[in-house]
Amino acid sequence: MEQSWKQAKAAFAAIAVPPVAWLVFFFLVPLAVIWAYSFGENTGPITIDFTGTFANYARAVEPLYLQIFLKSLIVAGITTVLCLIIGFPVALAIAFASPKLKAWLLLLIMLPFWTNLLIRTFALIAVLREQGYVNFALEWLWNNASGFMTLVGLQPLGEYEPLTLLYNNTAVIIGLVYVHLPFMVLPLYSALDRMDRSLMEASLDLGAGHMRTILMVVVPLAAPGIASGILITFIPALGAYLTPDLLGGTDSQMIANVIERQFKRANDWPFGAALSFLLMYLTFIAIAAQAFIQRKSERRG
Amino acid sequence: MAKGKYLTGASRRSLLKQFGAAAIGISFAGGLSACGGSGGGGSTVNFYNWDTYIGPTTLDDFNAATGTSVNMSLFATNDELFARLRAGNPGFDVIVPSNEFVTRMAQAQMIQELDHSLIPNMSNLLPEFQDAAFDPGRRYSMPYTWLVLGIGYRKSAMPAGFVPNSWRYLFDSPQFTQRIAVLSESADLIRLCAKYQGISLNGIPDANLTSIEQMLIRQKQHIKAFHEDDGQDLLASGEIDIVLEYNGDMAQLMSAEGGDQFDFVVPTEGTLINSDCLCIPTGAPNVAGAHAFINYLLDAEAGKKITEEIQYPTPNAAVAALMGADYQNNPVIFPPADIMARSEYGAFEGDDRARLYEEIFTRISAA
Amino acid sequence: MVDEALTSMPKVGRSPREKRDKPGPLDYMRRWPLQVIVGATLVFLYLPLITLMVFSFNDSRRNVVWQGFTTDWYVKAFNNESLLQAFINSLTIAFFCTIFSVILGALAAVMLWRFRFPGKTAIEGSMALPIVVPEICLGVAMLVFFARVMPWPMGLPWPLNLGAITIAHISFAFPFVATVVRARLSSFNRELEEAAKDLGASEWRTFWDVLVPHMQPGLIAGALLAFTLSLDDFVITFFTAGPDTITFPVKVYSMLRFSVTPEVNAASTVLIVVTVILTAVGLQMQNAKPKEKA
Repeated sequence: MEQSWKQAKAAFAAIAVPPVAWLVFFFLVPLAVIWAYSFGENTGPITIDFTGTFANYARAVEPLYLQIFLKSLIVAGITTVLCLIIGFPVALAIAFASPKLKAWLLLLIMLPFWTNLLIRTFALIAVLREQGYVNFALEWLWNNASGFMTLVGLQPLGEYEPLTLLYNNTAVIIGLVYVHLPFMVLPLYSALDRMDRSLMEASLDLGAGHMRTILMVVVPLAAPGIASGILITFIPALGAYLTPDLLGGTDSQMIANVIERQFKRANDWPFGAALSFLLMYLTFIAIAAQAFIQRKSERRG
Repeated sequence: MAKGKYLTGASRRSLLKQFGAAAIGISFAGGLSACGGSGGGGSTVNFYNWDTYIGPTTLDDFNAATGTSVNMSLFATNDELFARLRAGNPGFDVIVPSNEFVTRMAQAQMIQELDHSLIPNMSNLLPEFQDAAFDPGRRYSMPYTWLVLGIGYRKSAMPAGFVPNSWRYLFDSPQFTQRIAVLSESADLIRLCAKYQGISLNGIPDANLTSIEQMLIRQKQHIKAFHEDDGQDLLASGEIDIVLEYNGDMAQLMSAEGGDQFDFVVPTEGTLINSDCLCIPTGAPNVAGAHAFINYLLDAEAGKKITEEIQYPTPNAAVAALMGADYQNNPVIFPPADIMARSEYGAFEGDDRARLYEEIFTRISAA
Repeated sequence: MVDEALTSMPKVGRSPREKRDKPGPLDYMRRWPLQVIVGATLVFLYLPLITLMVFSFNDSRRNVVWQGFTTDWYVKAFNNESLLQAFINSLTIAFFCTIFSVILGALAAVMLWRFRFPGKTAIEGSMALPIVVPEICLGVAMLVFFARVMPWPMGLPWPLNLGAITIAHISFAFPFVATVVRARLSSFNRELEEAAKDLGASEWRTFWDVLVPHMQPGLIAGALLAFTLSLDDFVITFFTAGPDTITFPVKVYSMLRFSVTPEVNAASTVLIVVTVILTAVGLQMQNAKPKEKA
């Protein structure tokens, strides 16, 4: 299926050189400098010596930090699963809508995400906090239910206790899902849109129900899109910093918050670099998994 | 069938062109206005400051008085300031670090010595601010404001006649469980706990550090949130009843509408004093302009306008004289002398110490 | 009439009337479970934003309680020069970033999809790095790069002084575009490409007239993604921005330090409205053009 580059050298050069050159110069080189820092030592407030020491990595794998890594993995995992559960039906609905509706729906889904993240998170706070809209609505329902029960002759419900939806892990997950939903919807939509509908129709004609068709026909066909959607959602969620910072409670620090503090307050760039690189090494596993799925489905397709 | 779904080449291109034209249009319109703004005659001073930490007309007044325009950018924490300047000065002329960071940046040679002859308004300063323990001889900094940390609270949430005048209510008591918020600044938190334990907040012995860590881990279940600097918002919005905050922030909250339901007290054990100072970073492009600007900020009239706006305690005697009695006698802005006597400045104790405090905080957060 | 009723065959399949009422098997949007899901998702997405926009008219400095209607905050925002400048900077950067990211991303996707070459796995892995690297790490890396390795000259005229930030944005945005486009390409039928070549089309024509139209939904999705990423970015921009190149997110974060005054709400509302108009216009153009044969 793939062509060897030798067969079309000029085309290959024209296509490959710009992105690769950019990647190397403006991405890999800066990263390499930081990678070098992770083997360095602080020798004074602003100077760093490259001594080839592993001390930073040794510190980064202490139980304290491993525990934080694990917690971040779990939170990111839950976020991704929730995004998938919500995003897949939405992407499906959009992909199969009429063209005009499709464009509008896509626009509507994308629009919130052009708003600045900080603003959105603060807006989310207005919804989630104790005097926020969710609690207002629930309180109204509660009081009405209470009134109803009095009418019917039952004991009224007690005083309404507002839900604490903010400054805890729940809030962080809600916030992360809120932020990352389009990153899941877009690739899913892209893949579902390009999918061959006749296979689905055939499956339905043969008597399989919708759920079965989706699970056995659509999902495998759209697997690369699903895998890339999961990747694009999970990884940034893992490295999320602002959302746990603004919405989280005393229990909610994630690995990115710790790294941020190393680069800022602790002024410990080598250690921060070591933590970041450890995070990257861990997430390479996720990429490897995605590449595996990709290759498997390509072989099938 | 498939082709019907494609946009044709022409309409796709025109879609992108639409985006492009509109964006360029906006950009150029903005660009021209920007060029007009900053390029125009006279020199410029690049001022890196905290947010809402300047008077409403100060920059324009300075421009009118000297012909030098001021270009102000904002930062949110000392660490941001430090991280920004660490790899080299990207062009700032005047910065506003807190006292500890003055020491730190001076040691790292990130700020340059001031020429006092260019700052005659230095004589306006109160005697205790003419010199500073953290900057002997005021070689590197001029004080802009000073501030203390204390406890802000909602009066209706307190038992009758009760005033939470001890750090215990934040750090060591379940009385206000899940209605407490504290600063997320590791050094401040640990130092205030040291004050609670009755020892100096500089040079805390290791044994105390351990007990402080344990105490905060125990207290964590009662603390709702760590806030960066919006504690007064959390209080105002009803999320919490008691908060660790700066006196200036609480003064602003209390003077706004609905502010009389709140109050502020500095605990009897004493507190941490901070002073935000004006400095000139190394490699500043306009050193002369920077000195002139600092001098202007220490001027009595200019300082008065600033203080009226930001409501922080001023180290400037001339300004204090011009402010009304309301300001001078406000116990929130100027805490009682006996408590001030028990309060101290935090000294910069080296990077290793800062890292140690950070690690303690990470452990507390992860526990 | 009566004759027809007796002599005409009953229509096979669904009559047109029935077809309109009952959704087709794949017409998911017309079935109520999916309508509920999509509707609920939209409410979830929009409720905080509507709140934000409503509060931009709030007559109170603090954003917590509704106290009356006013448009003062809009006046204040428009007169706030630094906010305005930050806003324009963000739009400019996002615009250039989108263009370059789409080009580079599309090229990268085609490169990885079409060719076999030594070091391909390494390049593939590197392309995934911007997605993996924590933003803060990349931000610091960019800071050091533009300070020590390739100093970006100070005091360049606008918009060149935004170059450092733009480069940083492009670097982390184009792999996202590449991923999306690549997912799209994986369903491309190579025979179309070969057919074009057989008919005598040059490499370039094949690329432009056969491959690109197929990629197009991926390109558009990628462009939207790149625009969003750039406009929204805070961490990386913060580290690469200088005193005269403040962007909107960085400005907002500093303003948020004390509290969100409705001024920021007002500015965001304007941003949202501008975006809606731009996109609506674009979509209108799309729908208006008759569909010619590709």
